[in-house]
Amino acid sequence: MMNIVNVKKSYGQGSSRVEVLKGINLKIESGETLALVGKSGSGKSTLLSLMAGLDQVDSGEIWIQEKCVNKLSEKELTLFRAQNIGIVFQQFHLVSTLTALENVLLPLNILKNPNALDVATKLIDQVGLSHRSHHLPSELSGGESQRVAIARALSTSPAILFADEPSGNLDEETGAKVMDLLFEMVKQTKTTLILVTHDMDLAKKCSRIILLEHGSLA
Amino acid sequence: MIFKLFLVKEIKKFPLFFLLLIFTLLLGTLGLTGISVVSEQVKGKLEANARELQTSDLAVSARRDLLPGELEALNTIISPIKHQTYKIVDIYSMVRHEKTSQTRLTEIRSVEQGFPFYGEIVLKAGLFQVDGLYISNDLAEIWEVAVGDDLKIGDKVFRVKGIVTRDSSQGLRGFSLAPRIYLPLKDVETTGLLRPGSTGSYARHFMLPTFLQPDFEKLRDQLLKVLPDSAIKVTLPQESSDQSGRVIGYLTDFMSLAALIGLLLSLVGIFYLYQSNLLARLRDFCLFHLMGLDKKHIILGLILQFSIVFLIVFTLQAFLIVPGYKLIYPILSNSLGIDLSPEVNLKAVFSQLPFLYGLTLAILIPLLLGLMRTSMGLQLKAPKISMGQFRFYDFTPFIILLWAFAAFISHSIKMGSLFFGALLIVFVLSTFLIKLIQWLLKKYVANRGLLSPSIEAGVAIRNIIHSGHKLTLSFLSLTLSATLISLILQLDSLIQKEFTLDESKPSLFIFDIQEDQMQELQNFASQKGVKLEGVTPMIRARLDKVNGKSFARVDEPSNLRTREDEVDARMKNRGINLTYRKDLSPAETLVEGKPFPDEAPQNNRPAFVSMEKRYAQRLGLKIGDHVTFDIQGVEVEGLIRNFREVKWTSFYPNFFVNVEPGFIDEAPKTYLAVLPQGKKEIKRYFQREAVGKFPNISFVDVEELIQKLTSLFDKARKAIGVISWLSLAIGLVILYGLSHDQVYRRYYDLALMKTLGFSPGALRKHLLIEFGFLFLLALGVGFFLGWLMAIIIGREVFKLGWSINWSMILYPGLLLSVLCLVTILFSSWNAVKAKPRELLSDS
Repeated sequence: MMNIVNVKKSYGQGSSRVEVLKGINLKIESGETLALVGKSGSGKSTLLSLMAGLDQVDSGEIWIQEKCVNKLSEKELTLFRAQNIGIVFQQFHLVSTLTALENVLLPLNILKNPNALDVATKLIDQVGLSHRSHHLPSELSGGESQRVAIARALSTSPAILFADEPSGNLDEETGAKVMDLLFEMVKQTKTTLILVTHDMDLAKKCSRIILLEHGSLA
Repeated sequence: MIFKLFLVKEIKKFPLFFLLLIFTLLLGTLGLTGISVVSEQVKGKLEANARELQTSDLAVSARRDLLPGELEALNTIISPIKHQTYKIVDIYSMVRHEKTSQTRLTEIRSVEQGFPFYGEIVLKAGLFQVDGLYISNDLAEIWEVAVGDDLKIGDKVFRVKGIVTRDSSQGLRGFSLAPRIYLPLKDVETTGLLRPGSTGSYARHFMLPTFLQPDFEKLRDQLLKVLPDSAIKVTLPQESSDQSGRVIGYLTDFMSLAALIGLLLSLVGIFYLYQSNLLARLRDFCLFHLMGLDKKHIILGLILQFSIVFLIVFTLQAFLIVPGYKLIYPILSNSLGIDLSPEVNLKAVFSQLPFLYGLTLAILIPLLLGLMRTSMGLQLKAPKISMGQFRFYDFTPFIILLWAFAAFISHSIKMGSLFFGALLIVFVLSTFLIKLIQWLLKKYVANRGLLSPSIEAGVAIRNIIHSGHKLTLSFLSLTLSATLISLILQLDSLIQKEFTLDESKPSLFIFDIQEDQMQELQNFASQKGVKLEGVTPMIRARLDKVNGKSFARVDEPSNLRTREDEVDARMKNRGINLTYRKDLSPAETLVEGKPFPDEAPQNNRPAFVSMEKRYAQRLGLKIGDHVTFDIQGVEVEGLIRNFREVKWTSFYPNFFVNVEPGFIDEAPKTYLAVLPQGKKEIKRYFQREAVGKFPNISFVDVEELIQKLTSLFDKARKAIGVISWLSLAIGLVILYGLSHDQVYRRYYDLALMKTLGFSPGALRKHLLIEFGFLFLLALGVGFFLGWLMAIIIGREVFKLGWSINWSMILYPGLLLSVLCLVTILFSSWNAVKAKPRELLSDS
């Protein structure tokens, strides 16, 4: 499903250059739920950004469904990401000028899905927000926003769902509810989940936990 | 602590922002002070011209000599002041040249020692002295007079001492077109010309070397108080009704407006820049707040910080303005054709300091109040940081200061208020328009999905609908900038048009042509190879009644309240010249009412009358008023049918009152005519021959004077052009900044959309649709509103007629549209490179 081969990444230049990932090798199976844990600065988000095709590796290869994503052109990568990857961010990142329903519709419309409206409506309903579907993000609570973000991330039925500290901006109770929803939906859709978190309780919900320390897998 | 935090650490931490802020503020204030400096220089130069025309700093004049009491009152005020003085008596008289037996209307100017204080009288040979008769060159040529010849003026024969080739005191005003003969004042009495009833003017001129402009105005007011007779005029050079005074007025008003517009544009830029910066630093402020610094202290720190920035800007300006001006003044002098002084009047520059500081700070008040309203505690845990919103009424201090500054800088409450009022209308209209568009688009998308009409357009439309407050402000800023640019370009075009003289300019004025001479003169002219133009009958009359009531006569001057009332009343008592003509002349425009009918006049109705608008306004006349003229004892009834405006730069004969043909055609009259410009020799030949054949007809050569005026107009046009393009350049920089800022603000949205699958092309397309629509709409609306403002300001301040210059809309509009679109493309080029990685938690 996903194969990461000797991936290295550094930032900065000259003497201030920092090697964030020092040759990561990792295999992830389809339908697996994987928690990526580690201290701040350990390189979790960097690894996630490379796996999700949001950034380019310095060296090494990332294979997702038989495709080496770091060899794709920007155009190919955009399409690949839209078709195969869903992302849930810590800060929700909903398009502020689109309603909840439109936010879910957006990736479907980009992919020209003929049943976009039905799919989006069903997902909004699944996350329990049908009564808020025409509200703008500024009118939604944090928990509601994150639920919309989950629906959006799953709308294109991606092969892999990346979640970057998805409960980090929610209170404990709301966070727990939203995470239950996330795991339930992932289970239902048999989507591979790669979760970056500090929260060990949340990490324990995953089938595998990987610890990242100083840019290497522990 | 605050001092260290805001003045040292912050400035050190954000050097780029402070550099940009200083640059934008410097650009605006330099634009303002630069234009002020050039404006002062040009004004000074044109005022010097006006002084040369008047020959003195101040003149007290009347159509009679001052009475002993008045002279005493004048001396009481003037004596304590260091001054020099002389008296000038101007008499218009027919002078006969014995040798050629030709008679000409001439202006006999009698002067005293010291004349002229300003300007010069250049002779063909030798120096002008007040010791004999000097004759103008055109008169000398016609009469073939040489130095040493005798000339009889009134009862006395004088010997010609010199021929005047250039006279800086010769203006373009009424009878001053008549050729001039200079005599010593002591000799004029012996000519017998100073008889009661002679048309003349008596003026006492003063040079007050220690006085500044405000002192002159005070002195004039003092003199007007002690010389209450409205027949006495106290004139300062720039107030003279001569055309150059008018040109100065146009130029200074225009320059003030341009300076104000430049400043306003840069204030829009500063507002944007500061807003972006406050947003970027909001998290830091929230932390300061968390650590115990209350909001008031944060805002105080920001004000302190801004004050330092302003001080730096002003210091830089003080250092830059003098060498900068010295660097460009030779180019300016050359391109304007005005010999500007290399010295800068720093007092004029620094006097604007308090207003500038207040105004710039006032535009930041809404942002600072927005910061006051921010829930700082919540921001630190909010997913996306956002500042408290400002309200539109937060702009009140800025609006009040802007109005005051507009009045201060234009030296006119009327112009300041007009400018301010027009801006307010732009503000209201733009807000209404963008709200309407948002409402219409909302209706459009109500039952449509994101794909309608395309995903890019669908997202762009929703961005327009839901951007709310921010979008309104951006649209307002853009519209305002476009309006200001359009205003200055349209006003430029209106003034340029006013200063553009018709192709056909007169060369010779011919008047006092008797009815029975007209045909003969025309035949004579065609025999000599010239054609007379503008042949117009002139009938002397008096306005007797208005709507059946005797027209107010001034029998008891003491009943009149103000000097202006008295002047108006005096105007009512004066005789007027009428003409009759069906159609308008090329210099005239019908501004109110209907033209004369085509059918033949009927005797059972009064004659329709067309009046010059300002003249009618001064007399309090309206369309539909019945007027009765007394034409040499015969009453003629008239009905005011329309008002005309006369282009003041036309030198063809124009009349305040034009009566419908068929009513006064038989009245005793004389004719006026002009000879258009052509070959000088032919004109001279015609004039010489015609003077001999028609001794009673007066010929006045206006060619040189019109050339002088043309050159003055040319300088003014160039000056206005330079200033307009300078304002446009400032506008372009600000528009670029605004466009760039708009796209840059969307950085995170773009990164997100990229993550969701938007290709770079689709991202660019949606940006182009959204901003292209907004920018082009703002430019279109702004250019239209700017044109409307130009008409209003042109009409109310510059007294110009309205017209539309499409090229001044089309080309700058295209230039700005292209610039905006290029900016969007350029910015979107960078923005689509937004890294989705930055959306992640620890980026």
